[in-house]
Amino acid sequence: MTPAVELRDVAVSYGAVRAVDGISLQCEPGETLALLGPSGSGKTTLIYAVAGFVPLAAGEIAIGGRVVAGPGRSVPPDTRAVGMVFQNYALWPHLDALDTVAYPLRRAGLDRAEARARARDLLSRLGMEDLASRRPAELSGGQQQRVGLARALARDAAVYLLDEPTAHVDAAVRVAVQEEIGRARRASRAAAIYSSHDAAEALALADRVALLRAGRLVQLGTPADVYERPVDLWAARLTGPASVLDGDGGRVIVRPDWAELGGSTSGEVAEVWYRGTHTDYRVATPGGELVVRAPGPPTVAIGDRPGVTVRRTWPLDGAGD
Amino acid sequence: MVALGGLVAVPIVELARVGVEEWQGGGGLDRAVSGAALFNTMWTGAAVAVLAVAAGTGAAFVTERMAVPGRRWLRLGIVVPIVVPGFVSALSWARAYGPGGLTDDLVGWELPGVFGAPGVVAVVAVNAMPIAYVIAAAALRSRAEPDLERAARAAGAGRRVAAATVTLPLLAPALLGAAALTFIVGINAFGVPAILGTPAGFGTVTTRIYQDLARSASPAAFSRAVLLALLLVAIALAFVAIADRMLAGLGSLTRTAAPAGPQAVARRSGIAAAIAVWLTVGAVTVVPLVALILVALTRGVGLAPVPSNWTLGNFAEALDGPLLGALGRSLLLAAAAATAAVALGALVAALQRRRAGRLYAAAVLLTFAVPGSTLAVAVLLAYGGRLRDTLTIILIAYVAKLWGVGHRTVAGSAAGLPPDLYRAARAAGASAWTAVRTVVAPQVRPALVAGWLLVFLFALHELTMSSLLHGPGTGTLAVEILDLQQLGDVPVSAALATLLTVPPLVLGVAVVILAGGRLLGGAR
Repeated sequence: MTPAVELRDVAVSYGAVRAVDGISLQCEPGETLALLGPSGSGKTTLIYAVAGFVPLAAGEIAIGGRVVAGPGRSVPPDTRAVGMVFQNYALWPHLDALDTVAYPLRRAGLDRAEARARARDLLSRLGMEDLASRRPAELSGGQQQRVGLARALARDAAVYLLDEPTAHVDAAVRVAVQEEIGRARRASRAAAIYSSHDAAEALALADRVALLRAGRLVQLGTPADVYERPVDLWAARLTGPASVLDGDGGRVIVRPDWAELGGSTSGEVAEVWYRGTHTDYRVATPGGELVVRAPGPPTVAIGDRPGVTVRRTWPLDGAGD
Repeated sequence: MVALGGLVAVPIVELARVGVEEWQGGGGLDRAVSGAALFNTMWTGAAVAVLAVAAGTGAAFVTERMAVPGRRWLRLGIVVPIVVPGFVSALSWARAYGPGGLTDDLVGWELPGVFGAPGVVAVVAVNAMPIAYVIAAAALRSRAEPDLERAARAAGAGRRVAAATVTLPLLAPALLGAAALTFIVGINAFGVPAILGTPAGFGTVTTRIYQDLARSASPAAFSRAVLLALLLVAIALAFVAIADRMLAGLGSLTRTAAPAGPQAVARRSGIAAAIAVWLTVGAVTVVPLVALILVALTRGVGLAPVPSNWTLGNFAEALDGPLLGALGRSLLLAAAAATAAVALGALVAALQRRRAGRLYAAAVLLTFAVPGSTLAVAVLLAYGGRLRDTLTIILIAYVAKLWGVGHRTVAGSAAGLPPDLYRAARAAGASAWTAVRTVVAPQVRPALVAGWLLVFLFALHELTMSSLLHGPGTGTLAVEILDLQQLGDVPVSAALATLLTVPPLVLGVAVVILAGGRLLGGAR
């Protein structure tokens, strides 16, 4: 099967700075790939490179089997099969939601009436028919982001590029937008590349996750891969909470859900955080401080010595931070 | 409020009253003469607007959307003509490209029509262009940020379609506003048509008013000047209304999230375009100024501007006796006007921060658009009885005209101050006075200094009102230059114009650097 997107040794430079350096990865049709990394790690640049907004310093990008960027050649964005959601929404202030969503349809050659009819369809499928006549100034942040999403989906694309689509919306809206992205994506067979600095979001949405640090690919795998088998401490910390313990065979990491209170290893509770669905305890053990997660409200108090049981660990192999 | 009324409202009301009387008294416009002047004013204003907006927009695309080396300096080079007064530009264009000018001497070529309508339009457009540039650049940054174009490209639009469907519609209001403002600059221009138009028999409303008022004593000419002044202000105010509508909210439009995306992304190389802009700046500003300075340094008209013919005699003559007095008066008036304008501007800005300031702010903005010719006639009607031929009446006109500049600079800086800065100082234990002194004042001080320098510069370069209001012994340097030019003393007037322009030009560059981001629209 032809990959929806293929990157081979892609590098992008801004002046002397390598923003993206030697990244190779593939994204299959129907697959969602998350780019996870802190700000400045090259996520946006990589997405811009696939869309065609930045030239490559080296390497090659193919979309749907067609090379669109490589040494000495770059296909302009409007002729690449991409749809894009921008981090700052990038909605056109002079167009209402309906004409915004109709815009890609018009560019694909539909006449105005037909494009508007299809745009209205798409908006109502996304539950936004009542927003059709509003301009960006009359939309909340979450609504703007959903209109931006509808605009991207209106284009018949091999890959949808989503640049931190939930970075500027609050938690409740974020969940709604994530649900819409998931539903819309399952309906088409297109691939999606999704950048995020939020591990929980990336793990929940993606089929595979690429961890980026300073423009380099640190690890690529399924959400379970990167969570349970991180390549180093940096990757472990990026993908979720992790405690580091000194064991007999060297240092290991322990996720909060890999340990439980009560057991033979001695441990004194140093901190308790009640989080609603569960409670986190920071416990001092001989191997180091360990965060333990247990369902329900707190069962022990600071200063108690319930002991702990570590059910599972992952070795760091001397690859420290 | 009282000051504003006394400075602006009383004169204008007085002008309207006298105008109505003159009209009813049968002193109507002399159609044959002022009809042509009105027509010339309107079409040169339109031509100036078209040229200035086209050039300013083109330059804005180069500095804002292309990868150009030395972007900051390019921006500075583009806005610098704003600190060269129009009549000096006119003088220097005549010295550079006119008959017997620099290019005529060097290669036997002169620009056809320097004296006449083409020259007037070109030189006024050069002086108006920075306004259009600043507006277009601000609009490109705040209304049509690059991500909006990228969104169009990612939606399948080619470069041209994206420009036509996204960039231009977003810029249109700003460009229309810029066109209205530069049109006002065009119809208010006096120095340029007086120097390049009048000798060629090309008259505008402003030169007509000057001739009727300063060069004629007949009652018919006076009443015509009053009516022309009213007509000019009516046209200007109509266009101010357009500009105000179009430019409302520029810079604060519907940006709901911080701009994202790598800033250095995918700019097309603009080296060729940048060179073209530099060459244009050189041809329209630098070469004429150099020609002017060379004339000022040369012993007599017609001699080649080579070192063996150089002399400082023209400057010595320029700084001698009566002319030195004119320089002193100019500096005194400019300093007084700057101090008064900034003080009033700060006062209005402070009132504005409390409440109900919008009205004052709008009124202040209007005064800047009121044509100098009109304002001078109005001030003369209102205060001429007691203050005729004094420096005070010139000062009143300067402050009325320029305090908008002081106000905008200060208010712009104060508006940029988050109120929480002041609240944080109060919450940290500072009294109201201490909070203003330690937190607000340091932030506003550069704007106060910049505003003072700007008003000082504009007042120093003011010609239109000074030429109508001065009397024996109260002429300013600009007026003396105009008179010398009309008497044909080219080297000394060139020396005076150099003195009036070059030191402030250096100063002006310093102001721009001081005010930094605000005037250049922020360095990126």
